[in-house]
Amino acid sequence: MREVSEQGDPTNPGGQGSQNVERGRLAGGAADSPSTASTQLLSQTGARPPILSVREATKAFGAVHALEGVSIDLYAGEVHALVGENGAGKSTLVKIFGGVHQPDSGELVDADGHALVLTGPADAREAGIAIIFQEPTLFPDLSVAENVFIGRQPRRSGGRIDHRAMRRQARALFERLGVPLDPDRPARGLSIAEQQIVEIGKALSFDAKVVVMDEPTAALSATEVARLFGVVQSLRDHGAAVLFISHRLEEVFAICQRVTVLRDGRRVLSQLLGELTAGDLVRAMVGRDIAARERTQHDAGAAVLRVAELQRAGIFKDISFDVRAGEIVALAGLVGAGRSEVARAAFGIDVYDSGRVLVGERALHKGRPIDAMRAGVAFVPEDRRQQGLVMDMSIIDNISLASLRRLSRHGLLIPSVERSFASDWAARLQVKYGNIANPATSLSGGNQQKVVLAKWLSREPAVIIVDEPTRGIDVATKAEVHRLLVELSRSGVAVLMISSELPEVLAVADRILVMREGRLVAEFARANASEERIMAAATGQADVPVALESSPA
Amino acid sequence: MTSSLSKRTLMLAVAALCAIGIVGGVAYAASLKKGLKVYVIPKNLGNSYFTTADSVKTDGALAALGTLGEKGTETSGTAATPASQLPVIQSSIAKGANALIISADDPLALCPTLKSAAAKGVTVVTYDSDAPTCRSIYVENAPAQSIGESEVVDMAKELGAAGGQVAIVSAAASATNQNTWIGYMKTELKKYPKLDLVSTVYGNDDPTTATQVTQGLLQKYPKLKGIISPTTVGILAAAEVIDKAKDIGKVLLTGLGTPLEMKSYIENGTSPDVILWNPARTGYIAAYAAVELASKAITDATGQTFTAGSFGKETIGPDGTIDPGGTTTFTKANVNQFHF
Amino acid sequence: MSAAREPEAEPSEPESQRRLVDVVLRARTFGIIVVLGVLVLITALIQSRFVGGGEVRFILSQTALYALVAVGEAMVILTRNVDLSVGSVVGLSAYVSANMFGTHPGIPIVLVFLVGLGVGLGCGVITGAITAIGRVPSLVVTLAMLYIIRGVDTIIVGSGVVLASTEPNSFLNIPTATIFGLPDLALAVAVVVAIAAYYLNSYRSGRDLYAIGSDPDAARRAGIPVAKRVFTAFVISGGLAGLGGVVWASQYATIESTAASGLELQIIASVVVGGVAIFGGSGSVVGAALGALLLQTINSALNVIGVSSIWTEAISGLLLITAITLDRGIQLRVAAALRRRRVRLGA
Repeated sequence: MREVSEQGDPTNPGGQGSQNVERGRLAGGAADSPSTASTQLLSQTGARPPILSVREATKAFGAVHALEGVSIDLYAGEVHALVGENGAGKSTLVKIFGGVHQPDSGELVDADGHALVLTGPADAREAGIAIIFQEPTLFPDLSVAENVFIGRQPRRSGGRIDHRAMRRQARALFERLGVPLDPDRPARGLSIAEQQIVEIGKALSFDAKVVVMDEPTAALSATEVARLFGVVQSLRDHGAAVLFISHRLEEVFAICQRVTVLRDGRRVLSQLLGELTAGDLVRAMVGRDIAARERTQHDAGAAVLRVAELQRAGIFKDISFDVRAGEIVALAGLVGAGRSEVARAAFGIDVYDSGRVLVGERALHKGRPIDAMRAGVAFVPEDRRQQGLVMDMSIIDNISLASLRRLSRHGLLIPSVERSFASDWAARLQVKYGNIANPATSLSGGNQQKVVLAKWLSREPAVIIVDEPTRGIDVATKAEVHRLLVELSRSGVAVLMISSELPEVLAVADRILVMREGRLVAEFARANASEERIMAAATGQADVPVALESSPA
Repeated sequence: MTSSLSKRTLMLAVAALCAIGIVGGVAYAASLKKGLKVYVIPKNLGNSYFTTADSVKTDGALAALGTLGEKGTETSGTAATPASQLPVIQSSIAKGANALIISADDPLALCPTLKSAAAKGVTVVTYDSDAPTCRSIYVENAPAQSIGESEVVDMAKELGAAGGQVAIVSAAASATNQNTWIGYMKTELKKYPKLDLVSTVYGNDDPTTATQVTQGLLQKYPKLKGIISPTTVGILAAAEVIDKAKDIGKVLLTGLGTPLEMKSYIENGTSPDVILWNPARTGYIAAYAAVELASKAITDATGQTFTAGSFGKETIGPDGTIDPGGTTTFTKANVNQFHF
Repeated sequence: MSAAREPEAEPSEPESQRRLVDVVLRARTFGIIVVLGVLVLITALIQSRFVGGGEVRFILSQTALYALVAVGEAMVILTRNVDLSVGSVVGLSAYVSANMFGTHPGIPIVLVFLVGLGVGLGCGVITGAITAIGRVPSLVVTLAMLYIIRGVDTIIVGSGVVLASTEPNSFLNIPTATIFGLPDLALAVAVVVAIAAYYLNSYRSGRDLYAIGSDPDAARRAGIPVAKRVFTAFVISGGLAGLGGVVWASQYATIESTAASGLELQIIASVVVGGVAIFGGSGSVVGAALGALLLQTINSALNVIGVSSIWTEAISGLLLITAITLDRGIQLRVAAALRRRRVRLGA
């Protein structure tokens, strides 16, 4: 928290300063002279060699470069933070540590300086690397102790499992971690935090030298996070190197000694945390060319979608906002902040505990999407493969799916009407397809997303909710989707957009609401929004506008 | 005119051909057609009763067809259900069957198919289990009345003057022949006031179910003196239960059973006697009836007669039914003489 | 039941926690025992002879076959697979083994059991290889094997049938032989169940079956040889079904090619009623054996009470659902208790 005050308010709005940081000092320095950087780091850690390093790792998936020449050094007894925006390449790096992916070029190097080739998860384990995923996959039916020791159960004579020894060892492990988990209870029903503890116990049981934790705190409550920190501390005390990935900067400052920032697959910063402020990290994470904002302001109409004091225990609280006709409102925040949950609740996919959702003057029934649809609300979900498209159905069928009632006569669908309807909408959205009767699987990701949009736009909604509309689609299509959203709002539709990509939010939205841990924490008009301010609000480092901070508790 | 002339010539030619045809038909009536495709379709395959009724070894239907120089094939499903029998009938027709000899799993379900076969000129003869409305001739195993009656008579004889409680272990509750026999049994039982029919249970011709229902009877009616099982599958299961419960002599078993299968139970006293017709005889006569019909040597009218090989002259009775003769009672004394 | 558990949920020392969990883990079989007890009690009130020695021996002896085959089936189902071919294996083995008495008069009974075991192992090897190595869904493979083995059976049996008169009395008396008033068969199967339970509980390879059923992908990632274990489970299931065939032969004496058809569904029902999750990962062979006992008891009870067999199938189906629902109810309570405990610990 102290770092925040030192950082002060970014004085040069528009991201001009951060651009300097990126191009000039940090990124350039790291890329141009890695040797000087590492000698510097070595001297800071008392000349200890790193226990595990990644050297110049590059990994591409098709045309997408997930990692480009990334190097990272992990030291024994040190917690190393890995931060970066969504899509910066953190997960790819984790998978390289875990042996899931092999780098296209570059290598892993162990403490003795030997290259380490991991061809699978078993190799990683062999090499003493443990990966703790955000949501571990345990064997729900086996006991906690067995989950720790599966395949390596302690044995006594005749190859029989020594249950008592296993139980004792598991209990000892959990005691070492300071968490009183019952080794005999089945893993089913364990909270995510407890599941992580089991995974960490497993890592300890095979003496892992390196523990990689991929956003372990994203799904944890405050008390659980505190307990996890205790565990991380004890791992550190036992001489393990921990790579800790988190979006929450206060966590990074709380338990990490060193930080590496990734942006767009490149390392932009890697040094001891003590020298840095939260502001430095935020700038390093988001600093990029801000998309030119060509949009002209236009007047919004009356409030169409009104969400009042929406609340769901443990998920979100006191959510109130309006979306007006002709306005695009973005819901920004970190993954797991509760944005999608709010949208799903508003549309009726999920239920909520209290509060109201209105479209115009009409109150929507809780938990009934059909009611929202009748009121003119459309919802384009985040995971189009699972929720938005029927992948094996034709493009025609997918587009007309939400409008079948309008397209049928006496309950019968007329194929020709359906086809012309679908091709009309496909043309309006410039969907690029081979044959409109082909299944949706034949389309690229971007075009699939356009089909989902077409499906809902064809209902001519008054309100459209889009969740991560451009996730995983290429830049060109992204721009088209942005154009579409803007056009939609111009035509008087109220648009609520959830996006984790700040440039997108800034480029498209008229108003930006920021959520953190289930609450609305900030609201910016497009005129005074910047990536830093949004990021700061989302990570809790914020200069939060007074107006929202004082909203009902 | 040429046209009228040619027309007259044509008519003459047709008449001549018809005459030849009639003469030919008459000529063939004397000797039966050879090489007919005849399909023998028992209730199911792998059922030892039908193996006896059909196979060459036991002088069953296929033996008769062989003697007559026909192409006989035994085919059916593996389960005794209409669903498994129906496709077999259809494929037999598709393969150009001249005649079908069938033991119907369910007359209602099979009739439409059998009728359409008949419409295509396929001769349909039933044996063992009838499909009354959609066949030409039915060869009974033995007259239903005599089967029902003699089972009760045998039981009365075995239990003697004291009589006591008796029960019936039948096959499926919906089996036509079982219910007919049980009907005659009940009529006959009225003549024996000392015999008290306490229950009729259904073993579905499945060894497991039959075993359980028989065991249930023994438990529920501790005073039970006799079990009548008019099914060759059920009686075997009932015999094993009585055997294993060491109730031999306390509960007597009679009913329908093949001498070969029941031999050990007849000999150890579990079942002092069982009755049965000769299944092979039924199959053999049905085969002759089918070939005679398909060769148009006879019709299915009442009173028509034909010679069924070694079994001699058979007469078609009312409703196109042939009664091949009565039942045989198998006891310790004669059981070793029979091999079916 | 809950009243008995509640007080144990209170203290939080490790030892009493462990006791709670023990109760919990046993609860799945505990539920069946309760249902079984209620069923026996009600039936006995209606027909007191039901609890007499004769009937109990009959039920136990009938259960032996089902429990034996259910143990193998349970091991397969634990791995998130299913073996639909067991009925056909029992039928084939019953014929082949019992036929030995006819073709080799005087053959030792032990040898006949080995023949049955061999037939079953052979079938299990084929099924297991296709499923585990060919990575074909077991539902499809074993459904095909159900028909193939039954077809082979029909071809082999052909016009033949095994007659009671060809089998020695010493063989046919196996199901009725008793020690201390309990059927030998039931005791022998109890030993098999105990061995299987011990194996599943005390050997890594046994625990692997649970892990595989619990999450096959995670099992693969944890380095468990999934294909090998699944293969073994199928071979064991086949082998036990093969032994079951010999038992079948001794029970029913006369063997046709239709012997034991449809048995697989009763076996799977037993396993599921016994608390083995149909999607694998949890349950025990003891439960599966108890499930078989419950099903046989239901059947016998209905017969003894004198319910017409026209109704027995429907009623036993209904009782099945009741039993499973009851068991599920108990399970949910247990899960709730676990959650409550966690909250307490977390606080």
